[in-house]
Amino acid sequence: MSGAMETSSMAAPRRLVPDLGGDPLLAAVIGLVLTGALALVLLQPAPYLVNMVGQLAAFAILAVSLDLVWGYLGILSLGHGLFFAIGGYVCAMHLLSHAYAVTGVAPDLMQFMGWKSLPLYWFGLASAPYALVVALVLSAAIAFVFGYASFRSRVNGVYFSIISQALVYVAMLLMFRNDTGLGGNNGMTGFPLLFGHPIGAPGMVTGLAVATLLALALVLAGARALVVGRIGRSMLACRDDEARLRTLGYSTTRLKLGIWCLSATIAALAGILYVPQVGIINPRVLSPDLSIEIAVWVAIGGMGRLGGAVIGAVAVNALKFWLSAAMPEAWPFILSGLVLVVVLGLPNGLLDLATLRPKPTWLRRGGGLG
Amino acid sequence: MVEGVKAWICGTFLLLAGLVQPVLGATPGLDRAGFAVSLCGDGVAQTRALDALIRSSGEEAVDDLAAAGILLRGLLERRLVCLGDTAVLLDKVGASAGREVGIGAVRSTEGGRSPVLGLRQRALTETALGIATLVAGETVELRSKGLAAVERRMAGVPDAVLLRAQINESDAGLKAAIGVAAQGAALSSPDPMRRLAAIRAVADAPSGAAVSRLSALRSDPAYGADPAFRAALDAGIARVERAVWIGNGLALLYNGLSFASILFMAAAGLAIIFGLMGVINLAQGEFIMVGAYAAYGVQDTFRRFAPGLLDLYLLAAIPVAFLAAALVGILIEALILRHLYRRPLMSLLATWAVSLFLINLVRVVFGSQNLQFAMPSYVSGGVPLYADFIVTWNRLFAIAFATATLALTLLILKRTPLGLDIRAVTQNRDMAACLGIRTRRVDRLAFGFGSGLAGLAGVALCPIYSVNPGMGATFIVDSFMVVVLGGVGTVVGTLVAALGIGGANVLIEPFYGAVAAKVIVLAGIILFLQRRPEGLFAVRRRR
Repeated sequence: MSGAMETSSMAAPRRLVPDLGGDPLLAAVIGLVLTGALALVLLQPAPYLVNMVGQLAAFAILAVSLDLVWGYLGILSLGHGLFFAIGGYVCAMHLLSHAYAVTGVAPDLMQFMGWKSLPLYWFGLASAPYALVVALVLSAAIAFVFGYASFRSRVNGVYFSIISQALVYVAMLLMFRNDTGLGGNNGMTGFPLLFGHPIGAPGMVTGLAVATLLALALVLAGARALVVGRIGRSMLACRDDEARLRTLGYSTTRLKLGIWCLSATIAALAGILYVPQVGIINPRVLSPDLSIEIAVWVAIGGMGRLGGAVIGAVAVNALKFWLSAAMPEAWPFILSGLVLVVVLGLPNGLLDLATLRPKPTWLRRGGGLG
Repeated sequence: MVEGVKAWICGTFLLLAGLVQPVLGATPGLDRAGFAVSLCGDGVAQTRALDALIRSSGEEAVDDLAAAGILLRGLLERRLVCLGDTAVLLDKVGASAGREVGIGAVRSTEGGRSPVLGLRQRALTETALGIATLVAGETVELRSKGLAAVERRMAGVPDAVLLRAQINESDAGLKAAIGVAAQGAALSSPDPMRRLAAIRAVADAPSGAAVSRLSALRSDPAYGADPAFRAALDAGIARVERAVWIGNGLALLYNGLSFASILFMAAAGLAIIFGLMGVINLAQGEFIMVGAYAAYGVQDTFRRFAPGLLDLYLLAAIPVAFLAAALVGILIEALILRHLYRRPLMSLLATWAVSLFLINLVRVVFGSQNLQFAMPSYVSGGVPLYADFIVTWNRLFAIAFATATLALTLLILKRTPLGLDIRAVTQNRDMAACLGIRTRRVDRLAFGFGSGLAGLAGVALCPIYSVNPGMGATFIVDSFMVVVLGGVGTVVGTLVAALGIGGANVLIEPFYGAVAAKVIVLAGIILFLQRRPEGLFAVRRRR
């Protein structure tokens, strides 16, 4: 079984601060993230760089959320973009209604839709805490309904993957419609204010990036605490042989459902942090390709390792930022080549290059997992 | 259909009448010079001549009408000059000499005058000119103009004119337009019996246009005043509406069937591959694209080397597309998927990478615009079958193609050694291997076969949908839903699921929109999987 399990014995008391000693990679990643946050505050680099770091951190959170269900539970979701988008859309709604409440200038969206005032379902979103709760609860609720229906009837493996893909695809078609009332094709953009301050100010950009980095560190620490604990052991057991775990009397449905909803919530958090930094949200976030790309980040970084997900997300997206500007034609070829190399040659992703891990987990036992 | 038969009967009747008439000597033919002189007369003479021409215009010989048309145009344009007991037609207004009507001799216009038309006479002249142009005009364009002129003054036009123009018309579009005009004329005729007959005639040929035409009559004063008219009209509208409803329903079913055919062809390969190897092939949509582009290549080759046979390229493309997609599939299996059989989720990502690669390769090589296909005659147009329901050949082609593919697939799976192997490996891979079946070879061939089926789908859809590098994405999610619903590894399940999903999509769309259709179908599938997680027709097997 996994190395993480062996280090924490059954009788170990639960600790508030997770033991990072068992995972030097994760400790290094968290350390790097915190150092980065500190460096952003102290060195004050160019705003575009700060902004990029912040976006990468948001993608890293998204990758961690997927790694939690894929790497540790064996559920490959090809629809995680849905939860990311829920966070993003609610955040955008908050930003627009907040600016409307403060400045009194009607957002473009209202003119575009021909509204005199914001519709009822926007009520209260001007308040940040309420919007946060709405985003997280909404995404958890949708995850619950979909997850309950799927896990209860034991839809798993690739079946689950393609149904979740259909889910995000349908959501994309839905949001492309103008009468959905969330900007349709154009999405929402032009956010002037955040917490009453101009969103483009250098201090605000740094603040957002640092907040995202801190959130990433927190998510990593929390996920670590989860996966080394009792629940984490059940997750690995469920990943490796669900039927046996069920036979032993565990409710795998409840376990999967809980982690699934948690993962969706984390993805929504990533979306919330992403939108103010990038300044736009539109239905392209919901394209099935983006959701598959999230899985690609995790696979490239190394699934089943929280640090690996972060490395994958950062490496692929940094490369994408650079290459899609430098040679946009070549980027898809490079990405597909990268995926094939990793999938064929490096079963644990880039981590195999550093041989941080001698033997892939999926080879240790029968290897039913992808 | 009914209308066609009637027109045919009427035509035959007229033809017979035309044959009989010269024998009886009933039609004197137009006295051109006399007609011209009458036009030179006073208002009463003009009216009488014009009325006579219009009344007899249904039977007048075509060249007589053409001659009358030339005179009438001259009259309207003031090129007709009267000289005592003869009339001269000028080439140009104000010319000093022209040709004498009826004889053709050149005569000076000195001392002549152009006849003046009163309002009533001008209207009659225009009507007569319209009739003459409609019947005797030389080009379709001229005749259309004549029809427009006639429609403006429908009340004064005899029915025989329109009937005759319709029968003689060679252009299908104009012929239909004349028919519509004739019905319109009959519907607003002052004779109640004719109106009732016209209502019945319109109701006999139901279409969306017929509904609006009849509904417009409800505001006619006769609708309130004449109970017989009212009853006939209401009955007619009810009949037409019912027929149109049925026709639209048939059209919906037809579209659903053709969509389902494409879905089936896209999904059949997926289902076989998934059932056999547990590989979700996200590149299946791109194999469809490969098939469509192969068809394009075949078309190009035909255009270059055998332009005369261009119509046949779509048939020639069938084997080419199958082989092209199958080759690409086998190549991908041999290079990539072979190494990933124990890791289905990784093979899913690998096929995604392949699809990304193929899309961008095609984009770089061919560009991302839609390909232009020359449509062979056998896939363009269609036959109106009932009301507004038109059986279009391109969709029929897809349906027939899918049926043939289904038969071929079943034949291969049930009647060939390869099919036997595929079924054996699908049911129990280890046992099949123990019995000496080379499972890896079966995998490769089956993957090639499944990819080839997608290539065939590409050929079937290029007369219907647009072909571009991103086209695969349009079908991939739907075809996955087909596989999930139908159950893996079963062709029958795929067929039923494709019919169900294609039909449901097309049936829900007109009522709630395309997006709602997708949402409802997805929700339906998730609910269905609550009952049968293995799909409609699960193959019993061990893994």
